[in-house]
Amino acid sequence: MSNSGAISRAEAEEFLYHEAELLDDWRLQEWKDLYADDSRYEVTSTDCEDPLSADPAKALFLVADKKDRIDGRANRLLKSKAHAEYPLSKVRHLYTNVRVVGHEEGVTKVRANFLVLRSGYDREQTTQYMGEFHYSLIREGDAIRIRSKRGVLDLNSLYNQGQMAIIL
Amino acid sequence: MDTQTLAKSLIDVDQKKKYFRIHRSAYKSEEVFQKEMELIFNKCWLYLGHRTEIPNKGDFVVRNVAGRNLIFQHTRKGEIVAFYNACTHRGAAVCWDKKGNTKVHSCRYHGWVFDTEGKLKSMNTESGYSDDINDDGHLDLPTARIEEYAGLYFVNFNGDKAISLHDYLGDYVRGVLDAIQLQSPSRDMVILPGEHAYSINANYKLLVENSADGYHLGPVHQTYLEFLQERYEGSKDADVHGTMSNYTAKGGAKAVGNGHYILESNVPTGRPVGYWIAPWGPEAKKEIEATRARLEKEVGFDQMEYICEMQKNMVIFPNLVINDILATTIRTIEPTSAGTMKVNAWCLAPREESDLLKSIRLDNFVSFLGPAGFGSPDDGSMLNSAQRAINAAPTEWTELSKELQDVDDLRVATGLPDGETHMQGYWTQWDLVMRGIETLEK
Repeated sequence: MSNSGAISRAEAEEFLYHEAELLDDWRLQEWKDLYADDSRYEVTSTDCEDPLSADPAKALFLVADKKDRIDGRANRLLKSKAHAEYPLSKVRHLYTNVRVVGHEEGVTKVRANFLVLRSGYDREQTTQYMGEFHYSLIREGDAIRIRSKRGVLDLNSLYNQGQMAIIL
Repeated sequence: MDTQTLAKSLIDVDQKKKYFRIHRSAYKSEEVFQKEMELIFNKCWLYLGHRTEIPNKGDFVVRNVAGRNLIFQHTRKGEIVAFYNACTHRGAAVCWDKKGNTKVHSCRYHGWVFDTEGKLKSMNTESGYSDDINDDGHLDLPTARIEEYAGLYFVNFNGDKAISLHDYLGDYVRGVLDAIQLQSPSRDMVILPGEHAYSINANYKLLVENSADGYHLGPVHQTYLEFLQERYEGSKDADVHGTMSNYTAKGGAKAVGNGHYILESNVPTGRPVGYWIAPWGPEAKKEIEATRARLEKEVGFDQMEYICEMQKNMVIFPNLVINDILATTIRTIEPTSAGTMKVNAWCLAPREESDLLKSIRLDNFVSFLGPAGFGSPDDGSMLNSAQRAINAAPTEWTELSKELQDVDDLRVATGLPDGETHMQGYWTQWDLVMRGIETLEK
């Protein structure tokens, strides 16, 4: 398999920073279009012992979205009746330490760290979500698309955060 | 010393004038909260863990229950016990892992060693103690009284004085737990891996109420119902809006004794045990039809229909929620102060269920429930908001009057699914326990 389709670190960084910006700006209709038709967005549970190999068909995750629910999540959060995010909270997505860690059969594996900060109307404290992302990125024509994005939180619980209605 | 009971009821009920009100100090007073810890949480049966979390000899799970740190242990002899995770020497925790398998628990501080029954085996020294120092067993880890029903283990901090778990749960709750067990041909429901652990800045009873509240479904979960409807588009099997507009036609909100209650209702989410919907595909349909046929043979048509189709949101007094809805879930609500709580939740499934239906069960769970679902965060938001308002507004009473029934004991009553009859039963028990009228003792 040739590596000609591989996505470079510079491209991956540019793409991830774009995703982070869309989330910070609550441009979720554009955000959901970053995801390919057969894509997944997942966050493992905070007690998960094997977060890289865990399977949402066999274990309880915090988020286990296929494309229909990625779209549903974007649509829902923008509705005024999505009470957990009404009014929309202020969020800042810091994606860092972006590295290309593999490329196989047209899929580039990318690892990154994240710190997501949220200031909402339901809690006085700013809440923090930190951890690592494992992306599978593909090319679709000129564009890069997400095949899968798995978030692994560096948290033992969400007791300090309360909930996690926002997208990481 | 006995804790002083509440001198004055915080419930104002008048069945002729048809109102049932709760004084809001019950949700915000630290003094009331301290009394609840003593009078309710030290006397009621509280959920500890599930049999399938510690299947093998030596397995253990460490869990907080009502402020106690307990080791839920499968002993080397094969018994299930619970003891306090605090060394009898100088108090350090003897186990620092959340779960695992072990032959002994060794204190890291001075090296005392306890076996899986909590018995002191070594003091890590040759000198300085008399040989008979632990003849009376006072240096063994103190155990807590536990009892089991349908795989669920409960702990009681009132020791031998407390009534049995069997009597505490009562016929109706046991019947529902039996019905859930029947999802499995061998009555073997298992906890799937993965836990939700989150929190809400609100009094724990606000989540108890919310966990089985038919009235809030439309207003709070409109976006979820719209998401469901979109998924069903083009399918003739489900009409979300149609079913919801006819919500009160089936089921009921039932207070079922001892403060326990259940909402039985019809919500078109599909149920992996026995209520198929089109998005799940033909393989799932085959399995669900086989389950329905098995159950009809085992328990008859009516009970099969109850097990397969009825959504059950059940509260076991004071802080356990068993939701057998779009998935089967266990949710504990741990109060941490008058205005805060921790929530933990797990997913139950029949051991024999196919990988396909298990995946649907888990997918259903996270679609709606948990800190990132399409439902729970909106509930949490309501409760945060309610707590802030309760703390700050002059309104003295919460109005919980909907569907108040004309019965002698409100702890056993049934109203429409979108009413508050069942919660009135919970609060009636709460009031009787807090005033020392109901002791929950033999």
